[in-house]
Amino acid sequence: MSGPNAGGPRTPRGEHPTRPAGRPRATKTGTSLRSAKPAAPVPPTAAIDRADRPAEDTDPYSEAVLEARLGRRARDVLEATVVLEAWTGRPARSAMNAARGLVSIDGPPLRALSSSDPFADSERSSVIAEGLTLVLLIISIAAWAAPIRTHLGPNVLSHAIRVALPLAIAFQWGLRSRYLGRPQGLACLARDGLWVWALLLLAVDAPLALIHGWGPVAAMMVPIFVGGTVLTRRGWGLIYAGVLVVGTLVMGLGASPDAVLAALTTITLAMCLLAVRSSKQTRTDERAGTVDRALTAALIGGAMGVLLVADPTVSLGVHGAYPAIALLPSVIGCYWGGYYLWNFFDAVPRGMRGVALDRAGRVALSDPAMSIFVGAIVRLIIAEAVLSALVIGLGQVFSGLLRGSDAITVFIAFGSIGTLSMLIGLLESFALQWAALLATLAALAVELVWPGIVPGGTPGLAMAAGASFGVLLTLPALVRRLAHSGGTLATTLWIQ
Amino acid sequence: MNTKLRATANNSPAGSPGAGRHVLIITEGTYPYATGGVSSWCDILLSGLPDIEWSVLPLIAGGRHVRPRMKLPPNATLLRPIELWSQERAPRGLSRSNADSGSLPTQLLRGLMPWQGDLNQLRLALVRCRLRPHSVRREFRAHESWTRFLAELAQLLTEGHSDSAPAPIYDAIEAARLYQSLYWVARTAAVPTPPCDLLHVTAAGWAAIPAIVHKAMHGTPILLSEHGVYVREAYLASISDTAGRPGHGATSPRLALGLTRAAYAAADMIAPVTEANGEWEMGLGVNPDKIRVIPNGIEPSLHVGPARGTKRVVAIGRVDPLKDVQTMMLVAQEVTRRMPEARFEYWGPVTSGQEQYGEACQRMHRQLGLGERFRFMGRTEDPHAVIRDADVVLMTSISEGMPMALLEAMAQARPVVATTVGGVPGVVKGCGLLAPPGDVHELASSVTTLLRNPSLARTLGQRGFERLHRRYTLSRCLGAYGTLIQEMTATGAPA
Repeated sequence: MSGPNAGGPRTPRGEHPTRPAGRPRATKTGTSLRSAKPAAPVPPTAAIDRADRPAEDTDPYSEAVLEARLGRRARDVLEATVVLEAWTGRPARSAMNAARGLVSIDGPPLRALSSSDPFADSERSSVIAEGLTLVLLIISIAAWAAPIRTHLGPNVLSHAIRVALPLAIAFQWGLRSRYLGRPQGLACLARDGLWVWALLLLAVDAPLALIHGWGPVAAMMVPIFVGGTVLTRRGWGLIYAGVLVVGTLVMGLGASPDAVLAALTTITLAMCLLAVRSSKQTRTDERAGTVDRALTAALIGGAMGVLLVADPTVSLGVHGAYPAIALLPSVIGCYWGGYYLWNFFDAVPRGMRGVALDRAGRVALSDPAMSIFVGAIVRLIIAEAVLSALVIGLGQVFSGLLRGSDAITVFIAFGSIGTLSMLIGLLESFALQWAALLATLAALAVELVWPGIVPGGTPGLAMAAGASFGVLLTLPALVRRLAHSGGTLATTLWIQ
Repeated sequence: MNTKLRATANNSPAGSPGAGRHVLIITEGTYPYATGGVSSWCDILLSGLPDIEWSVLPLIAGGRHVRPRMKLPPNATLLRPIELWSQERAPRGLSRSNADSGSLPTQLLRGLMPWQGDLNQLRLALVRCRLRPHSVRREFRAHESWTRFLAELAQLLTEGHSDSAPAPIYDAIEAARLYQSLYWVARTAAVPTPPCDLLHVTAAGWAAIPAIVHKAMHGTPILLSEHGVYVREAYLASISDTAGRPGHGATSPRLALGLTRAAYAAADMIAPVTEANGEWEMGLGVNPDKIRVIPNGIEPSLHVGPARGTKRVVAIGRVDPLKDVQTMMLVAQEVTRRMPEARFEYWGPVTSGQEQYGEACQRMHRQLGLGERFRFMGRTEDPHAVIRDADVVLMTSISEGMPMALLEAMAQARPVVATTVGGVPGVVKGCGLLAPPGDVHELASSVTTLLRNPSLARTLGQRGFERLHRRYTLSRCLGAYGTLIQEMTATGAPA
């Protein structure tokens, strides 16, 4: 057979490997199968389960068919039976009998290992575009601080971000868990989820918009941030970032921030609608993620957002652009490390191919699970350290432009948050949502009580303490799990 | 008919037997989410026995967004499907115990994977899943379970059997795949089933799992219907998949064998559609007394018209490797070389998951230059009309139970050319021509013979028509099921 149903080497169509005398011929008008070598009578029961029954004489034609169809010897009597029945037309009982003589129990075992690589590489072409989008997004938002302060008042942006950021991150995590983290996620969203999320967004935004002062700004920020995630997933991240940059420039030229934000919100939502609607053309029967997991993910995201804004000593956007810019090293580090962690679902199975059973349960730090994890952490730390030094250096050079909370502890705080975020994301992707949520809430609790325990008000210290506590909680659990690559694969990646 | 198998001779009208009974029917990837084949049979059965209250528990592939494609009759209720291979967790139970031992994967392994598994241990493990559903995922996610499983698997692979070659050498990936499959088995066992008088399982594989547990807990009898032979089809699928993943090829049929043995052992009665399936069942150790052949049935036409003599050869079935469509195209090439006016039509959709095979068939069609001489017609809603327009009905399958297309051909008095697989020879007795599977020359010669000899074709068609009326009517099939269900619900198992 020449199609994909072929298993191993086959003979050309219409030809038979051999046609000895025993080869059954076509039967006419449903008469019984004629054979030069009829099957020996066998007891009707347990034809293949009785070890003492006589096997048929070895049939060279049957052997040849087996070899041609399988490209190897048969694994067991049933496999040989199926081949003989399907490709020679022998009745079941006769085929079972003949099969017994065709299975060798003395040969060396076959290897249960594919010679081809069944694991496709993940899509990675958009990584630079996504990274660039992230950088442009942060710089743009950082640049909104001055115009908003000038036009709308000193505390508007600060209050708006403190509310909008946790809400937006909650939406992002929830969306990613239910839809965007899946191969056909946007098509799934288009098929069954868009109106639900639109209603949810409306339910959150409408009350926000009614709050005097900072409310409308926060209400507009939420869809802008959430929309960015959808558009990036669609591959339109650079267009989205371009729109943000243009809006920021217009704002910088003196336009009303309200009007610019309203325009950005409208454009972002319209683009999202277009992005999702156009994905509807991709017909998919892929199931969306479960609701309970998406809700838990949203809670984790929300808690991470609160962690980011709960420290009053880090006044995001109030004292200039610096605090927001200080986020850049941590966000890029987290993105780089997280991107490297994407390898997990491909590299761990690939690394375990060919690994013998006695090594499949061992602890080995050099195995793929741990090496990828360590690689991700190293990338995160390097990115955070180097970029923080760069931003601090630039801050010294352009002190007039990048003024604000320039304490090094702010960078440490954001770096800790980035690290915790990556670890929590890993826990969540391992379906350890409750552990992730508890660790995040514990980190938040420490951040909130820290000022009461350690007075002094060092910028970012409470945030750093909370995030570090969260890291300490999650790190040992992850290391213990990842030290066993085989176990990680079997118990964590493939059983969710 | 094999004297060892009990044949049905019941001609009682459908409806009255088994009245007032509640039957839980468990399907696997078929009713009501697919059409044709077993789905159509289920639909006919449920509608045809209206006095029985049916609950339908379907097992479906998870991770997919599916909707029922068939409307249930008023006497049937659709239960929430069990999703295999999905993120859905096992249902949570009320009792919470910390006594999880990490032994569940090894118990399932011992029950399912050896050539002769420990079915008692398997049954206990499956019942444990039902009693403590909350612990299933936790046990499988525990590292301790994985290490115990590895040790047990290594031990199991050293154990030989005279009917099996030495076990393949597993690597960590294949071990993890097997571990995951056992998790799905456990999760399937954990799903609760409603109280009922009879468990009707429609395939001796995954669908049997909930029934085995239910019977172990409540003593409810199990009726197993086999349209194909589950383990045979699993082996065929693994042979097709061998080029890609030999390891999986070793694991999947062995798991199917374990499930099949468990289903056979638990079933009180097994109702294959053909004696050929019964041979397989006996070959796998089933007591012949438990086997009652109930052939499929079809509503016979009272009057049929003569063939139009347009030299049209028709096939009805899914585009699937088991149907060996590529052989059919070669047959078409050979027949049209001899008779250029002959035309072949293949009616049926590509099987879900076999799109690659469908594309290969299209490529082969182009390479052979068949053009209009062989056409893929897609799904048909009216197979009777398609067959009525045919001169010959062709079937080149490498595996069949009792194909409905054969009965439809007989119902329209059309002669059949078919391969000698499964129950086909038993049905096509004197009303068609048979050839070994894959034998292009013999199949082509048979088709040519019938196209060139309309009188022979007419004679064979008429014989088929009469045979259908004698043996394969719908009322006969429904009556046999009604009687069997009545017997089983009255006593637990028929005398």
